[in-house]
Amino acid sequence: MSWDNDIDEIKKRRKLAKQQGGKQAVKAHHEKGRLTIRERVETLLDKNSFDEVGEGAGVPEYDDDGKLKDFQPANFILGFGQIDGRKVIVGGEDFTVRGGSPNPAGLRKSVYTEQLALQYKVPLIRLHEGGGGSVGGTNKEKNRRPLGEPVFSQSRFVPLAETLSAVPVASAALGPVAGLPAARLVASHFTVMTQNAAVLIAGPQVVKRALGHDMTKEELGGPQVHLSSGAIDNLAEDEADAMAQIRRFLSFLPDNAWAYPEKLPCKDKADRYEDSLADIVPTNRRQPFQMRKIIEAVVDRDGDASSFFEMSRKFGPSLITGLARLDGESVGIIGNDCMYYAGAMTAEAAQKLRRFADFCNSFHLPIISFVDEPGFMIGPDSEQAGTIRHGTAAISAVLQSRVPWASVQVLKAFGVAAQAHFGPDGYVLSWPSAASGALPVEGGVAVAFAREIAAAEDPAARQKELEDMLAASQSPFPRAEGLSVHEIIDPRETRPKLISWLRLAIAAMQTQPPVPYLTGMRP
Amino acid sequence: MQVKSEIAGSVWKIIAETGADLAADDVIAILESMKMEIPVVAPKAGKLKEIHVAEGDMIGEGQLIATLD
Repeated sequence: MSWDNDIDEIKKRRKLAKQQGGKQAVKAHHEKGRLTIRERVETLLDKNSFDEVGEGAGVPEYDDDGKLKDFQPANFILGFGQIDGRKVIVGGEDFTVRGGSPNPAGLRKSVYTEQLALQYKVPLIRLHEGGGGSVGGTNKEKNRRPLGEPVFSQSRFVPLAETLSAVPVASAALGPVAGLPAARLVASHFTVMTQNAAVLIAGPQVVKRALGHDMTKEELGGPQVHLSSGAIDNLAEDEADAMAQIRRFLSFLPDNAWAYPEKLPCKDKADRYEDSLADIVPTNRRQPFQMRKIIEAVVDRDGDASSFFEMSRKFGPSLITGLARLDGESVGIIGNDCMYYAGAMTAEAAQKLRRFADFCNSFHLPIISFVDEPGFMIGPDSEQAGTIRHGTAAISAVLQSRVPWASVQVLKAFGVAAQAHFGPDGYVLSWPSAASGALPVEGGVAVAFAREIAAAEDPAARQKELEDMLAASQSPFPRAEGLSVHEIIDPRETRPKLISWLRLAIAAMQTQPPVPYLTGMRP
Repeated sequence: MQVKSEIAGSVWKIIAETGADLAADDVIAILESMKMEIPVVAPKAGKLKEIHVAEGDMIGEGQLIATLD
């Protein structure tokens, strides 16, 4: 007697697990221009680093002699691996098995993903393509009614929620993603979708039956919907680009909330003066400028490649958010984009800022803020969107920050919303173009001096006179005299000034051990 | 190709003429929104087939500004 037969059985089962949904299903999947989950994992991870968990889980079929006849693998692939030499955990549905809709082993593996990430404190990546539950249940046995989970079991949503405070989570939608997989997709710090992916609560047939809308799944939940809905951060050209974006996102972050981000060698000069910044802001206040050019001029560059990695560009576009390297350190970047409503804070931009500030605090990323804030967005649509509440929540998130903040006031900082751009004990630099106050002059004068203007011999001339007088009072020079800002600087000096500060701020932050960021109630 | 406004505001100036060959980033019109002049540009090169708005028009987010061939 020996164990040879059993050892052969292991080999046989491993082979069967790799067949996924079978040759036909894999071929059909490739014909749709999509990779299988195993190919996706290979594309994402460092070569040969995948270390699978639960390879033998699946639905067996036995013959009359009790020998294994066939085997349907779990429809969810799970395992550890490496990205740039760092340990991660990766999981994703196998669409070639039941269209990614869970079979019992697949459901167990999918639910275990977050638990493993929490247990081993490694970044979590989910590669989604699959549906949710079926009205027929996950078990195909005849006459078997679903029993549900025991009443004393922990909800699978507990680890799903807890991962966000513990480890970086990045997810991709690489095909149709609906139901539970869609919920898991968005329980992430960073989400990316390909052009032919769709993210849905329920698919077209369900929607048609309930609401009468006759729409394709792409119309319901394609990129044109979810990049601006805020459910998805970035669009990927193809699957390889989606994996590259996830790798890039993770490169800025520590393995978990109990570690600081790693400083990388910086190929850019710390004392680089950037001549293009001297006149990038037009003196005519009605003319816009490109805030992204300012950000890219300041952060680290490697040749022509900027280290700036923008996220959520299409959601709340009046605010720019992203990650970058400065002096080789990971930092969070925010900036107003005056091409959208003069950079005003909309309800969406406020939600984006609150989430981004919480994210930076979760992983100890100092925040650099480039300020051109005219105030909360005004008007009926903005009131209806509840901007005041979302905006106040964003201000709370910013002012409860524990990471270092530096703010460069490029142009405007008006109204209550300006508070959302200056963190507690922050370092404040002001460009000569900066203007601050309760209201921008053009709107404020018409309101505050309405009677005086109306009574004047030449109302237009009086308004202009008042505007010019008050514009002078919004100048940054008196603020520098009163130490309301740390320095008023030549815009060209922005990078060296920020780096000098960042070195001090990071050294001070790292005197304390890093711990997870748990916040209280927000407005 | 349709060029739509990403913001609400009013049309301050029409810059390009119908029939013109535009390069990517050429300005088609300038909108006024929140007291700023925001250009609407050609997303890529093409002939300007039609401009759907006139100076002074109030426009909403997503409204069609021009069609390029």
